[in-house]
Amino acid sequence: MTKLLSASLAFATCLSLACGKVDSAQPRGVAGSPDPANATAPALAPVNNPTVGADGQPVNAQGAATLEFKKRVDAYLKIHNEAETKVPNLKRTDDPKEIADREKALGQMIMTLRANAQPGDIFAPEYQPYFIKIVQDDFKARSAADRKAIVSELPAKMKVDINTVYPTTLPLETFPPALLNKLPDLPPELEYRIVARNLILRDVKANLIVDILRDVVPTIPS
Amino acid sequence: MKKLPVRIVVVLWSVLVLAAVGQAVTEQQRPPTATIGAAADVEPPIGKDSVKFLVIGDSGTGDRAQNETGAQMWKAHSIFPYDFAIMLGDNLYGSERPQDFAAKFERPYKPLLDANISFYAALGNHDDPNQRYYKNFGMGGKRYYTYQKKDVRFFVLDSNYMDQDQQRWLQEELAKSNSKWKIAYFHHPIYSSGGRHGSEVDLRSIVEPMFIKYNLNVVFAGHEHFYERLKPQKGINYFTAGGSAKLRAGDIVGSSAMTAKGFDTEQSFMLIEIDGDVMRFQTISRRGKRVDSGEIRRIPTS
Repeated sequence: MTKLLSASLAFATCLSLACGKVDSAQPRGVAGSPDPANATAPALAPVNNPTVGADGQPVNAQGAATLEFKKRVDAYLKIHNEAETKVPNLKRTDDPKEIADREKALGQMIMTLRANAQPGDIFAPEYQPYFIKIVQDDFKARSAADRKAIVSELPAKMKVDINTVYPTTLPLETFPPALLNKLPDLPPELEYRIVARNLILRDVKANLIVDILRDVVPTIPS
Repeated sequence: MKKLPVRIVVVLWSVLVLAAVGQAVTEQQRPPTATIGAAADVEPPIGKDSVKFLVIGDSGTGDRAQNETGAQMWKAHSIFPYDFAIMLGDNLYGSERPQDFAAKFERPYKPLLDANISFYAALGNHDDPNQRYYKNFGMGGKRYYTYQKKDVRFFVLDSNYMDQDQQRWLQEELAKSNSKWKIAYFHHPIYSSGGRHGSEVDLRSIVEPMFIKYNLNVVFAGHEHFYERLKPQKGINYFTAGGSAKLRAGDIVGSSAMTAKGFDTEQSFMLIEIDGDVMRFQTISRRGKRVDSGEIRRIPTS
């Protein structure tokens, strides 16, 4: 809990620095940015920013959104852990078949337990505008060559869907460390990845796409 | 009249040098062939109790190039008996079914595995992180890890996903290491003269300050499908050795001021010996030619 709170506070601070001073009367996100690159940005969902908490005390809107995201990550972890108990343990092995079988079994178990999973189940709607802003600001600060390099390993029109296995014959785009530093920490079971213009959450042990935030990455001219 | 012999000597010397350079260029431009020559160019190790290891990168294709280069590695072992091998990522390209582990790792390196040579792998962008559970990759179930061989501490990073946990871990491990030699290896080169990828500047901004602060000596990386020895950068020696099966011929940017030596016309691997304060390296091509060699002297730190 301490880690969660400190991460939330750190992230909220980071967001405050990234977004500038927050005016609760104004919509948050990238609207109004003078950068023409934002012309192609997806419309931001309205931010449901509670300014008063359940106890009647003022609440930092970004911190609240972060906490909501963390809460959903924790909820996913419960499912992941439950699935882990229902498939054979994975230990270090000489037999690659054990690794492949286990990955597949865990993936299928999670798919079953989350049969009705929808985009946004983990990427909380409250937090999505911040994800979008962080990713887009990061890309804007990069050179054209750098932006292109980040997405160069995968087909530009690669399609991904929630609750599906990440294609085993395709590489994983290397996630830019500087961007990773700006996003909320994830537990080791999950990782962010960029696929085409989408930000996905991938279950590492199950090789499963567990959530998608579409069209977050700005269009990169070929 | 008195100066004539000196001039003749200079001219003759110049001709000899030009001939040697021409030979080297000719050899580099020769296309790879299927013939595996004897590893005649491999130099034996010098130290009695030295740390000796093999460096391979971007190796997991399962194709003829990997198999022939693997055969050359085994030939080299008869002259330079390395005890273990480090893998710089992209250990398995494409699918990772059990038969892929066999075709892209176990068969090409069977003689090495039979000789109980341990492998210590880093993850590349083509690798499923679950490779960490495969015992023959020596990762101990971890995406990033560290191990010690005599005077040498190795730091194996997952450069695909340098999150804050890994950064903290690296900082802590570097800080507590008292080893004489500190070597890091990972997939993405933070300095590179490759035309396809080039330097991973983003990653560099995160790890280089730690490397400098904690006196790291040497870094090995792959990703670029060629061999490059870079001029030392801020006191650290960098090698890219990502051409042990994949090859991107002609990809080294000729005008790069960073390159000390490049080789991008044939697959290759490296042989390393760490002997006291000296690290000796040699780079061997698929056909058994030594294409680079030299030594690095460790600068003692207070």
